[in-house]
Amino acid sequence: MTISDETLMAFADGELDAATRAVIEAAMREDPEVFQRVARHRALRAALQGAFSEVLNEPVPERLIAAARRPVATPASNVVDLAQARGAAAREAPRNARPSWRWQPGAMAASLLMGLGLGYLAWHGSPTVLQSSSSGGLVAGRTLAEALSTQLSADRPAGTVAAVGMSFRSKSGDYCRTFSLSGTDAGAGLACREGDSWKIKVLAQAPHAAASSSNYRTAGSEEPAAIRAAVEQSIDGQPLDRAGEIAARREGWATR
Amino acid sequence: MSTNDRTEIIQEQIVALLPRLRRFARNLVRNPHDADDVVQIAVERALLRLDQWRSDARLDSWLFRILRNAWIDEVRSRGRRDKIFMPEEAGEQVGEASMEREMDRLSVEAAMARLPEDQRLAVSLVLVEGLSYKEAADVVEVPIGTLTSRLARGREALQALLKLPQGESA
Repeated sequence: MTISDETLMAFADGELDAATRAVIEAAMREDPEVFQRVARHRALRAALQGAFSEVLNEPVPERLIAAARRPVATPASNVVDLAQARGAAAREAPRNARPSWRWQPGAMAASLLMGLGLGYLAWHGSPTVLQSSSSGGLVAGRTLAEALSTQLSADRPAGTVAAVGMSFRSKSGDYCRTFSLSGTDAGAGLACREGDSWKIKVLAQAPHAAASSSNYRTAGSEEPAAIRAAVEQSIDGQPLDRAGEIAARREGWATR
Repeated sequence: MSTNDRTEIIQEQIVALLPRLRRFARNLVRNPHDADDVVQIAVERALLRLDQWRSDARLDSWLFRILRNAWIDEVRSRGRRDKIFMPEEAGEQVGEASMEREMDRLSVEAAMARLPEDQRLAVSLVLVEGLSYKEAADVVEVPIGTLTSRLARGREALQALLKLPQGESA
C-alpha cells in the first residue's frame, strides 16, 4: 500500500479523522518505511518547537502588557475609534465623565479659544508651550512642538508637560494631533502641522480647580468635547494607528 | 456580565497570549525589538476591534491574523521587507544552552530564514504554534489547499536543509 506524503503529514499534524488515522497506524506497524516517514515529520515538529520555544520563557516587556491592558471603549481612550467614541460619549458621558476635568459651562465658554476662525488667540502661559505666530495665530512653542513631533500617542513619557492624544490626517491634507498640557498651563488642544510649525487650531484651558488637582495628569487623556468636535469636523478617514504615526514621524509630519 | 467585564477578561487573555505573539512575530521579523513593535501594533489594533472578534473563534488565531497584517503594513511603510529576516543575522543571542543544542537551534532558525515567506508562515503557524490547517489558512487568508501545499513545500525544504534523522534507520 502506498500512502501519499500529504496524508502522512496530515496524520503527523493530527488532521485526519479517526478511520483514516487507524489505517495509518496499522500501516506504520506493518511497514517500517511508513513508520520512518511519520517519524521524520514528527522530528521536524519537535526541532522547530525546540528552536523557537525560548522566547516563551522570556519576561514580556512591560510596554506590551500595558498596551494589552489599556482601557478600551471609553470616550477618552487614547487612540480614538471615532464611531465608537461618538456612541459611547452620547450614551455614557454624564455617568462616565471623570471628575478631574471639571468643565463648568461658564469656565468652558471663557477658556475655549477657537483658532483661525477668530483670527485671534490669547495665551498667557509659558512661551515654551505656545507662542504667537507672525500671522496672528498661535503655534506650538519648543516644548509642545517637540512633544507633537516626537511622541507617539501610545507613549506618555512621565514628567513631560505635554502629552499627545491622537493623530489624524485632516481634510486639507495636514497631519493634526490632539494634545493635553499639565502643570501651570493645564489645558488641551488640537494642532496641525503647517510648514515648519504646529499651528494651534483649538485650545481649551482648564479652569484653575482642575489645573491644580493632583490627579490632573491622569485626566490628560480626557479630551474636552470642543476638541473632540473639532477633530470630528476636520478628520479625513480614521485616526492614525501606531504604524501610521511612526511613518508620519519619519517624514517629519510633512505631507507634501 | 457587562461589556466592560467581558472586555477586561479578553484583555487578560491577550496578556496571557503575549509570549506566543512574540514568538510568532519573531518568525516574521528577525530583530527582537522590531518584532515586539509589531506585537504592540497588533495588540493596539486588536483592542480597537474587539467587537469584531467572535467568541466562538480562537483568540490566538484572530490575533495572529491581526499581527500578520500589521507586519505587512509595517514592512510596507518601512520599505525594508528584504532586510528584516536575513539569515546572516541569526545567532546574536547565545544563551546557556549547550553548544550542541545551540548549533541545533541556530541551524533550525537559519533553515527557517531561508524559506520563502509564505512557507515560513505556514510552518510557523502549524508546526510551531499548533494551529489546525483551517485556522492557519484563515490567518493568512488563503484557501486550505494553498496552505497545505505551502506547508508541504516548507517541510520538505526544512528536512532537506536540516538532514533530520530518518526514523529508525538513522
